[in-house]
Amino acid sequence: MINPAVALLSVLLVSVATVLIAVNGLRLSRTTGDFYVASRTVKPWWNASAIGGEYLSAASFLGIAGLIVVSGQDGLWFPIGYTAGYLMLLLFVAAPLRRSRAYTIPDFAQIRFGSMKLRRLTSFLVVVICWLYIVPQLHGASLTLGISTGLPGWLGSVLVMGIVCLTVLAGGMRSITFVQAFQYWLKLAALAIPAVFLLLHLGLNGESATLDGAVFDTSTDPSANRGLYYNISLLVALLFGTLGLPHVLVRFYTNPDGPSARKTTAIVLGLLALFYLFPTVLGILGRAYTPELATNGNADATVLLLPGRILGGMAGDALTAIIIGGAFAAFLSTSSGLVVSLAGTISQDLFRGTVRGFRISTLIATAVPLLLALGTSSFALAGAIGSVFAFTASTICPLLLLGIWWRGLTVAGAVSGMLAGALACGSALMLAAALPNEPDSFHALVSQPAAWCVPLAFLVMITVSLCTRHRAPGRIDAVMARLHVPEALDEPLP
Amino acid sequence: MDRRLPPPTGTRVRVSAPAGTMLNIARRSTPDAADTFYVHSLIRSQLRLAVSVALGFLLLLVGLAVMVFTWPEINNIRLATVPLPWWILGVGVYPLILISAFLYNKTAARNEAKYRSIAKP
Repeated sequence: MINPAVALLSVLLVSVATVLIAVNGLRLSRTTGDFYVASRTVKPWWNASAIGGEYLSAASFLGIAGLIVVSGQDGLWFPIGYTAGYLMLLLFVAAPLRRSRAYTIPDFAQIRFGSMKLRRLTSFLVVVICWLYIVPQLHGASLTLGISTGLPGWLGSVLVMGIVCLTVLAGGMRSITFVQAFQYWLKLAALAIPAVFLLLHLGLNGESATLDGAVFDTSTDPSANRGLYYNISLLVALLFGTLGLPHVLVRFYTNPDGPSARKTTAIVLGLLALFYLFPTVLGILGRAYTPELATNGNADATVLLLPGRILGGMAGDALTAIIIGGAFAAFLSTSSGLVVSLAGTISQDLFRGTVRGFRISTLIATAVPLLLALGTSSFALAGAIGSVFAFTASTICPLLLLGIWWRGLTVAGAVSGMLAGALACGSALMLAAALPNEPDSFHALVSQPAAWCVPLAFLVMITVSLCTRHRAPGRIDAVMARLHVPEALDEPLP
Repeated sequence: MDRRLPPPTGTRVRVSAPAGTMLNIARRSTPDAADTFYVHSLIRSQLRLAVSVALGFLLLLVGLAVMVFTWPEINNIRLATVPLPWWILGVGVYPLILISAFLYNKTAARNEAKYRSIAKP
């Protein structure tokens, strides 16, 4: 169906380009000073593209179209949640976080509370979140390689992690805003070009892209129809999970000041809204032309198989190659962003930030998710990412929201709230994996626990803080002023 | 030429750990009561703004979810063969998100300007 040689060429091209850019980027940005200087000159547009590039992962690139094929209209809630999550980030986190001058979430915890204990707990949660987030990327890579070339899928995971490990060790990637920004436009083009071509082709041949609306009628598999609770809970997870994603928050440091952090976030919203039009279109086409994927468990391959199915021949091969290239760009950029955040956190807290420590941390940061990915079987990408968002929303999100906006949050409150959220959400997700998914059971309650886990975490945090009020951090007035007071008009933040 | 890489990771680690100096709150002169009061009211107005935008948007989304769930016949209203809920959820929601963001940014900047004019004459 897909020409393996073309597919392989596309994968190799993206891989080689990534390695080359990373190694050359080393020459461009080498010192701390460079980074800080860059942090004053990066324009919101660049920064926003870079955030988009890092954020749009396998779940967005492959997962959404697959989800629309499987569950139809319910699938539309995912891109809404992914985008609106940035609205929440804009409203509650963007400017104060930039003004806090924290580089990572553990840094923020230390600034706000001055507690090393809390810092370590936050670091630990960040590590867990990053690992869980990388695994679906690797599943996506293995699916893409397996479907498009017929090679064993695990090679895809190993290839992605190998390249990421190499580039991070070489020291490139992170500080090069340009690369991540380029990745956004690459991913957008890799879905937009095929979508437009396929629609044009169908239009010229007088075929209806929606089979005259019939694709919206075919009742979906009832077990895939997940109901009101699931959709609302998913929205909660996506809206509040985005606030706490480590690889996204790091990017805010490159904004010169609070208002530009806000401006950047607003542009990100526009970029994401534009991007998500195309997976939706491709998902609808998938319902018409690759309906069998809805039941055979390969729905995430919809985007990859569509051009061959609709066009075939050389044109189909060319479009597929573009999509495969974009997909690998998605796996590589998201994973490298995560691995850098992860390696930074591990090396700071385990190895006291030495060079050797950073290298060892990079190896740990890549090896663990790789083993996890190889040891688990791929399940729906979008759903897997949804679980990670639920976990982030019930741990990091309350810490950031209450830490930024409520003076009364104490160390004890923050620790117990995050532990409660982590335990509740973690055990619910494990229970969901162990229990069979029967209709009319309470499975949705544990498989998408955000709707009750997030309020629980907030409640515990607030209650415990109120009980330990006498132990509130002493410098709270200074900290709050630093987070919220606008910077002087003519002097940028350090 | 020596192809071995310089130790770039060392500098990276320092970037991610500006600790020590950067993480400490600068010891400014102790803020007076008026200063603290202005900061409090700034925080309160920003929070009120953020919460009202967020609540409005959330209510809208939940309303949409409930509407589609309780009134499935809405799917029979079609534009260019595509049912209305697909248009709303797939396209229509995004401009609303952008408008909310734009209005929020303007109002937040205005709150800050007001604070500046009061606190730093």
